[in-house]
Amino acid sequence: MASRRCTLGMAFALGLFSQRAIADIANIDISGKEYTKFMFQNDNTQGCLSLSNPFWVDNIGGHNGVCSELELNIKAKLGSRVTAGARLQSRWGALWQDWWENGDLRPGVQDTSGESSGLNHAAYIKLRSTWVRLAPPIPFVRWVTVGSTDFSMWNEWTIGKSRYIDRDNGAGVFVEGNILDKRRLSYSFGAMGLPKLYVGPGWNTGLSYNEPLAALWGTDWAYALKVESSPISDLQLKAIGSVTQDWEADKYDSDLTGKQSAARGTDHAIGLATRFRGINVTLDGTYAPSKLDWLSVSGLVAYSNNYVNPTYATNLVTNGQGFSPVVFKQNSKGESIPSQSAAGKLDFELYDPFRIGLSAKGEYFNIGSEYNAIMGARREADVLLTDGILPSGFIRGGQLPTLNIANEFVDWDEPWYESCIGWHGGTLLLDYVHGGLKLSAEGTVIGYNTNQQNRDTKKQFPDFLYTNGFTDTAVYTVNSDYANVYDRGKDPRSVYAQYQDRLTGIAMLNLQFLIPKAKGLVINLKGKYVNDRDNRNLANPNDDYLGHLILGFAQIDWQATNELKLTAAYEFARYLEDNRTGTQTGGYWNAFSTKNTARVGAFYAFGGVVVGYTLEYFNKFMVRTQPGSYDQYWNVWRSKGTVEVAF
Amino acid sequence: MQRILLGRMPLAVIAVVLPCLACATAQQATGAAGVTAASGPQTIDYTDLIGDDYGPGTYKYPTDQVYKPGSFDLTELQIVPTGDTVEFQVSVASRIEDPWDSKAWGGNGFSVQMVFIFIDTDHVVGSGVTEGLPGLNIRFKPEEAWDRVIILSPQGPARVNSEIETKCPQWKDRIIVPKLTRAQGKTIIGVIDAAQLGGPVRRSWGVQVAMQSNEGFPDKGDLLTRKVNEFEGQHRFGGGSDYNNDPHVIDILSDPPEAQKAILNAYNHETTTPKFEDLAVVPMIYGK
Repeated sequence: MASRRCTLGMAFALGLFSQRAIADIANIDISGKEYTKFMFQNDNTQGCLSLSNPFWVDNIGGHNGVCSELELNIKAKLGSRVTAGARLQSRWGALWQDWWENGDLRPGVQDTSGESSGLNHAAYIKLRSTWVRLAPPIPFVRWVTVGSTDFSMWNEWTIGKSRYIDRDNGAGVFVEGNILDKRRLSYSFGAMGLPKLYVGPGWNTGLSYNEPLAALWGTDWAYALKVESSPISDLQLKAIGSVTQDWEADKYDSDLTGKQSAARGTDHAIGLATRFRGINVTLDGTYAPSKLDWLSVSGLVAYSNNYVNPTYATNLVTNGQGFSPVVFKQNSKGESIPSQSAAGKLDFELYDPFRIGLSAKGEYFNIGSEYNAIMGARREADVLLTDGILPSGFIRGGQLPTLNIANEFVDWDEPWYESCIGWHGGTLLLDYVHGGLKLSAEGTVIGYNTNQQNRDTKKQFPDFLYTNGFTDTAVYTVNSDYANVYDRGKDPRSVYAQYQDRLTGIAMLNLQFLIPKAKGLVINLKGKYVNDRDNRNLANPNDDYLGHLILGFAQIDWQATNELKLTAAYEFARYLEDNRTGTQTGGYWNAFSTKNTARVGAFYAFGGVVVGYTLEYFNKFMVRTQPGSYDQYWNVWRSKGTVEVAF
Repeated sequence: MQRILLGRMPLAVIAVVLPCLACATAQQATGAAGVTAASGPQTIDYTDLIGDDYGPGTYKYPTDQVYKPGSFDLTELQIVPTGDTVEFQVSVASRIEDPWDSKAWGGNGFSVQMVFIFIDTDHVVGSGVTEGLPGLNIRFKPEEAWDRVIILSPQGPARVNSEIETKCPQWKDRIIVPKLTRAQGKTIIGVIDAAQLGGPVRRSWGVQVAMQSNEGFPDKGDLLTRKVNEFEGQHRFGGGSDYNNDPHVIDILSDPPEAQKAILNAYNHETTTPKFEDLAVVPMIYGK
């Protein structure tokens, strides 16, 4: 009887449940992704991320460990005009070895419970995004979006697309619409919550822990307006303006300075004062005549204006060893004034005009010495045609017009980005394609609008401390070398130096060749030479820097089976640098480095699972002539494996 | 002396370059409307109308900035036999870009486009496949059924083959993933072994191109294709239907050029559970 009751009860319950379950879920789509990464290196760090940020107590960076994460995306379609969605994502950083971790953080201590590394290591599920998108029947309004977004509707010179790991951390309210049809005039407007970490002086908008002069960040917003027009089919124009506004409580407001007495003028309302304000404007156009479909011309002009209020923002040029994402510009009286500059570039492209496989691209760029897109793209974008100085054979990268570049939270095989603030020059690129052959050649000359004698890098212009030498991204390591004790060269954000009179030339040749009669065997070769000169102090004939970077790279890819691709590659790099390191008073000293890097890799995809594995070995020998310094040798084995499945 | 040489150089270059450019422009202009099978002794050239990247006339691009105007506007297909290999060169109206850094995911140097080139080698009823590939929502006439299809994808061959194995294994012997896929300027190029086509390239073959967009996270049944909805989204095309009855094809070869709207609009607009016979029939283009 009891059993029957139980069965009936269960049936009833199941009935109810199934009735609820058949509620309308046809319009809900759930998708997910699992990602596991295996990291190993012949060192004593632990974690699943090559470069994180060592300033946190709960650091997740390290080279040895295995980590997994889960992503769940939910999308609901309420009708053709309304959709909504969310993303749930487990926190990165829990190693497979992290048994029992529950996030019970004991700062700086690994206790005996095994549950003491903090929530970063507990793989908790976090709500990463929510959004609603609707198309209301309002004239001139096509879409309204409320919630999370990657900010990809603007551009790198104003508000840039968030890097992948931050892709929906940002949120705002967005309105898009057409004033005229057929793309003749359309607009987008957005009001976005300003990220409290990274947009502003000291990479924050008033975090009291690291900004003692300020504490208010809930009132901070960025605003942007984009207007696009295609007045004729061959011409596209786009104008974008953005304002980032960091407010603080007015510390002189009578409500904050004494009793709430009407006689003192208090009114239970607190005024706001600007801590930081950034204005960026661009106008760009592309002309691609349909009657000359081998030709395209495009151009962009930009302007930036960044004001820092020293009453509320600590001057990190002075107090942070020159590490600051903004210039603290002062007039001759020492008063804070906006830092401002214009920028522009002009591109042309000839698409195989002779129908023989030969194409050409050219670019003129002129970026003002103080142009700075504080909320521009921090990585994963590239505004210039040139390969640039930083990228090698293995490491790709790009140039961005901001001091706020982010090369952290990446692995050793990921791209690197360098600031192009102040760059002035041109690039010519030729591409030739014939059958299985592709050949491309680049020549670039870069002068610098930042060239100046006796620039104030003590109070106004951040130099990021490390201004000398070619940057070697391969030797960045997770913790101990974050402060560059191993001399990896110039910080990619460093565009200002006390004395600079610099000129750079880049020559590059790429070749890709499909080996005939071989199944999917492709050879890639790259040769690159960078000549970097800096006369530094023109009054000092003994401080002239001359750097030669010589790079050779060869890779062979083989599509062994339908599912399996194998890769083997080798890179040789030689850095010859006269007067690389030193000071005006102590003199400058040479350094020479030779680096050999080899990689093998495999990529396997089957039935929706994608598996990747890369094994790298590099050795580097660095000779330094500076008295008191020592030579260095690297002998590094490291690997990274990934398993990915989307469902 | 150097100055004189430099001064004369542009004149010499201009004298050579301009006539050639004019010639190239004139060549391209002759084929700018409709479809022709012409050009050199070996190359087979198909051109398509510029500005018809709207599917049945209503489709709109996704709203994200990476989908630049003209990105899916098919302008030309060239089939170039070169000894043991055959190149398929597909051009669009805007520069091919790589905003998603395809090298990071084992890709081919471009990100957004994806192209399907269907070939009917025999023009015989009962030979070949009348269904389109998963995600395209098109079909072919029985006498124009495709025998081979070449996929030009920014995804590496391993990923494309994996998707084929999962979503349409029954046709994997007919689907050709080039051993080399690359982009140059406005053109995507795929190089395949000539033997994979089952015989030398012939002008009499039927050819059709389906212009699509690479979707790295496709819907469960789709072969790396991007969906078309009633309203466009950040990464969805708009102007179609939400029920997979509309062709998820942005541009095709069309002869005459103005026929494209009618061809791609000829699907059952009423159904919400589309069957094979509800889908638009896309014609092959046969050379003369």
